[in-house]
Amino acid sequence: MTSEVSSIAVVAHELKTPLCILRQLALSIDSADEKSFKKARAQMIQTSERALRQVNDLTKVARLEDGLFELEAVPVRAVCNEVTAELRELFRENHRDINWKYTNKSRLVLANRDMLYSVIYNFCSNAMHYSDVNTKATIMVRDKKGKVEILVRDFGPALPTKIWKEMKYGFINEPTSVAMRPGSSGLGLYIASKFSKYMNGEVSAIRHRDGTSFSLILPISNQMSMFEV
Amino acid sequence: MALTYIIEDNEIMADLFARYLGGVSETKIFHDAISAISEIENDKPNLIVLDILLTGPDGFTFLNELMSYEDTAKIPIIITTSLKLEQENLKDYNVVKILNKESLLPADLKNAAMECLRNVGNA
Repeated sequence: MTSEVSSIAVVAHELKTPLCILRQLALSIDSADEKSFKKARAQMIQTSERALRQVNDLTKVARLEDGLFELEAVPVRAVCNEVTAELRELFRENHRDINWKYTNKSRLVLANRDMLYSVIYNFCSNAMHYSDVNTKATIMVRDKKGKVEILVRDFGPALPTKIWKEMKYGFINEPTSVAMRPGSSGLGLYIASKFSKYMNGEVSAIRHRDGTSFSLILPISNQMSMFEV
Repeated sequence: MALTYIIEDNEIMADLFARYLGGVSETKIFHDAISAISEIENDKPNLIVLDILLTGPDGFTFLNELMSYEDTAKIPIIITTSLKLEQENLKDYNVVKILNKESLLPADLKNAAMECLRNVGNA
């Protein structure tokens, strides 16, 4: 199978998952009482929004070469806070939690805000899939050699060796094969990897005995830094 | 009442499957193979509904683990997946039914479970 066909197969499979969930939720409505109906409705909205986000990200990946996305000064803490707020409910539904820890002064980084959001979102989403029940993933932001590092740490099974090797050397070339990627995460890491490269970020993964850390290092933007809160 | 393990890493799907099996069997949900294997010694199920692409060890690893012990090797398995699998290739693992998630109806799972449990004398 060529790399392109393999990539399409992975993407197709990844998008099949939310479609199967939506179908089951729709089927379940027939026999649902009012409470279950409301729950199913909320889950359908949530599932479709997540799938749409992924489709939008893939569309952006396809247009990266056009260089249409501008890099600007982005408040990194604000983006981390937004991701945490959006994903916290999902983590809790899956009996996990997420928090943040900022050890540096508030910084602006040179990035594209939407892409930075997607990278952190995908790291966190991956952390949820690969972490154990009742554990807490952490987004850490710290200074590193004159740049800013955003680190997402999870506690659970080790990252598959193939993904780890590619992340270790800074880039995932193609969506990871379905066989290597149980759960919904291989595509997310591929998107994160592509966006990081576009933003001149350094991306890597560290395997711990009890989990994994994904790291993105971005240059500090000194422009307008006095305005950041 | 019979006991069915539902091993499915998607929370929404697992809850729906448990609902479909209401009245047929008690259910226990596991989101990964390891926690199901850890529990199986304490509370052996009469039936297992198994997803294949799980986080951590996958469904095939779980099936191999079940086959390693005499008492768990005979538990009937219903596989729910969106992968294309042939039941013929999995019959040695006591897989009695493969239900494709793309076309599965609530009644399909319920009927398959009822039939399985009837065959093992628990329905």
